[in-house]
Amino acid sequence: MHETSIALEILKTSETVLAQHGGSRILRVKVAVGELSAVEPELLRYAWEAVTVGGPAEGSRLEVDFLPARQFCPTCGPVARAPGAWVPLCLSCGAPLLVEGGNELDLVQVEFEVDGEKP
Amino acid sequence: MSPTADVRAQILEANRQAAEALRTRFLQEKTLVVNLISSPGSGKTTLLEATLARLSGKLKTAVLVGDIATERDADRIRKLGLPAYQILTGGACHLDARQVQGALEKAGFGALDILFIENVGNLICPTSYDLGEDFKVVLLSLTEGDDKPFKYPAIFARASVALLTKVDLLGIVDFDVEAVERQIRTLNPHGEILRVSAKTGEGMEAWCRKLEHALVAKRA
Repeated sequence: MHETSIALEILKTSETVLAQHGGSRILRVKVAVGELSAVEPELLRYAWEAVTVGGPAEGSRLEVDFLPARQFCPTCGPVARAPGAWVPLCLSCGAPLLVEGGNELDLVQVEFEVDGEKP
Repeated sequence: MSPTADVRAQILEANRQAAEALRTRFLQEKTLVVNLISSPGSGKTTLLEATLARLSGKLKTAVLVGDIATERDADRIRKLGLPAYQILTGGACHLDARQVQGALEKAGFGALDILFIENVGNLICPTSYDLGEDFKVVLLSLTEGDDKPFKYPAIFARASVALLTKVDLLGIVDFDVEAVERQIRTLNPHGEILRVSAKTGEGMEAWCRKLEHALVAKRA
C-alpha cells in the first residue's frame, strides 16, 4: 500500500508550508490525484489519518480532487465515458483511442491556523 | 476564514529530485537503466536470466532487485556469475529513488553498460516512482489473463515497452494476444510490444536488440 508513503510525503511538504507561514496547526490539505496516478483516494485518506497522529496535522481533512484521464479518437475527437471505464476502440469508427492527462499527483493548498489569530 | 497557502508542488518532489540526480549520474556513466515492473510470477527473474546469458561477453550488466523478503532473486543472478544486489524494502511495495541511490553505493558495481532494476512485484505501486531509469518495461504473462492492461492502465500507459511473457503457453491457456495488444496500444500508442518466451527463446533476440539499440542511442 504505497498510499502511506505518499501520505508521508504530503505531510512533510505541508509541515514545511506551515512553518514558512508561521502557522501552528494544519486544518485542511488539498491534493490533486489523476486517474492514472495509481493512487486510490479512499486509501490515501485512511493513510492520512494514520500518518498525522501526534503532529500539527492531527485531525485535519485531506481533500482529494480526483482528475479523470481523457480519451480521444484520432478521427472523431474526445470520447465520453464513465470514470474508470476504459474503452479500447472508438464506438463510432473503431480506431484505437488515445489517452491524455490523468497523471497528476500534486499538493495544491494548505489551510492552517496561526496561534493568537484564531477565527 | 483561516489562512490558506496555495502550493502547487509535486507530492513526490523529493523522489523526483533523487531520480533526477540518478539520471544525471547514469548519463555521465553512460549506463542504460531499465526498470522492470510486473505482477509476482510473471517471469521477471527468468527473463533477466535469459537476457543476461545472451548479453554476457558483449555487455557489462548488473541487477538491482527489490523484494519485501529474501535474497532469492539476487542469488539466481549471482549464480550466473553476474553482479546483483538485493534491496529489501521492509514491507514497502515499491522501490524509490533514494533506495536505489543507497543500494548503488553499497553494491559498488563499477562501470556498467546496462543496469536492470527488478522492481517489487506488483502492477500498481512501482508505477508512481521515477527511479532515474531510461525506460520502464512492463511484463504481462499469459497466465495472468487478457484483461490486465485496462485493469491496471497506469503502468501500461507509462511503460515504453510491454513484454508479453510465457508465449510458449499460447493455445494452452485462454489468452487473446491481439485483444491485449489493442488494449496496450490504446493506453500507449507509442509503446513497443514484444512477445517473448524465456523458455523457448522466442522473441529474445528482438528484446536484446532493443536493449542494444537503446544503449547505442544513449551513447550517441
